[in-house]
Amino acid sequence: MEKRITFESVNCGDILPEVRQLVDQEVIWQHAAGSMDYNPVHNNPEWCKTAQVFGLPVTVMHGNQTMSLMCKVVTDWAYPSGGRMKRIESKLVRPVPVDATCVYGATVTEKHPVGKGQDFVTLDIWARDEQGNTVGVAEADVYLPL
Amino acid sequence: MGYLEEMAKYQKSAKQKEFGADFLVKEDIDQYEFWDEIEIGKESVLPDKFEVKAEDLIAYAEGVPDSNPIFYDDAYARKCGHDGIVAHPMFGTQVGFFVMRKGHGSWIRTPGARNPGQIIEYFDPIKVGDILTMKIKGHDKWIKRGKYYMRYMTETYDQHGNLKIRYYVTLILPRTREDVLKFLKGEHALQA
Repeated sequence: MEKRITFESVNCGDILPEVRQLVDQEVIWQHAAGSMDYNPVHNNPEWCKTAQVFGLPVTVMHGNQTMSLMCKVVTDWAYPSGGRMKRIESKLVRPVPVDATCVYGATVTEKHPVGKGQDFVTLDIWARDEQGNTVGVAEADVYLPL
Repeated sequence: MGYLEEMAKYQKSAKQKEFGADFLVKEDIDQYEFWDEIEIGKESVLPDKFEVKAEDLIAYAEGVPDSNPIFYDDAYARKCGHDGIVAHPMFGTQVGFFVMRKGHGSWIRTPGARNPGQIIEYFDPIKVGDILTMKIKGHDKWIKRGKYYMRYMTETYDQHGNLKIRYYVTLILPRTREDVLKFLKGEHALQA
């Protein structure tokens, strides 16, 4: 099992391991099936040529897939130790066109020693494309075990 | 092969197989709600329920894509301190699209919609065997930089009345029925 993450073992400023993902059309289609979000802006390349919802003639990644991959930074890190999400709030600031590769990461910004098994940390999470543009940000509260 | 056929190879669970994947059916237009008509404060409990099966949780994790065994391996997840395989934190997306497919809340299926970010609060973990019911309420709508935002508050409960998640679903929408009709035809219809 991976190194156990506990509330005591974590400090403000800790940087979580990054996640990297190529988002080709197959990955987008599989996310559509998994989420049941079949909006054509993600799934229908022909429709996107003219509809250009984001001003682009190609499909774009689901915003909730960007959120899901930002969550993956958290679940990879905390869930094998029994941690779990308390809250997430995201802003998606830039569309991610098909065939982009993005990187996702996070930093611990706050510790909340509230006791009674409810101790949690706050994370700043980011998603960037390969050019370094921020495509999404989020703040998440995560319960950690003692 | 069309894109619907391409996606079909990923539809493995019983719910995925029976769910309508085409957002561009013109006959479905009467099932949509439109930004300029949506009533803030309107509340309802959606009639469709979502019985959580392992294949539903796995389908979401595969779609992330995320191969972490906590989402697939019951014994491993329990060893990690969870009550069986874990629902991905964004699993509520699948639940929402499944139960809000028509009538109140169906604006989440609008062609031309854009996702500005979401807020989710977690209470009791979603587990295999849960039978989920969703309560939804028109929370807010606003105009910012020429874009038309819509936000619903949704609360998902299990069969015992336990609140599982509160999800503030937010989208930027085409403003009117006419705008959505343009998108159905593949025409751009946003002012900003």
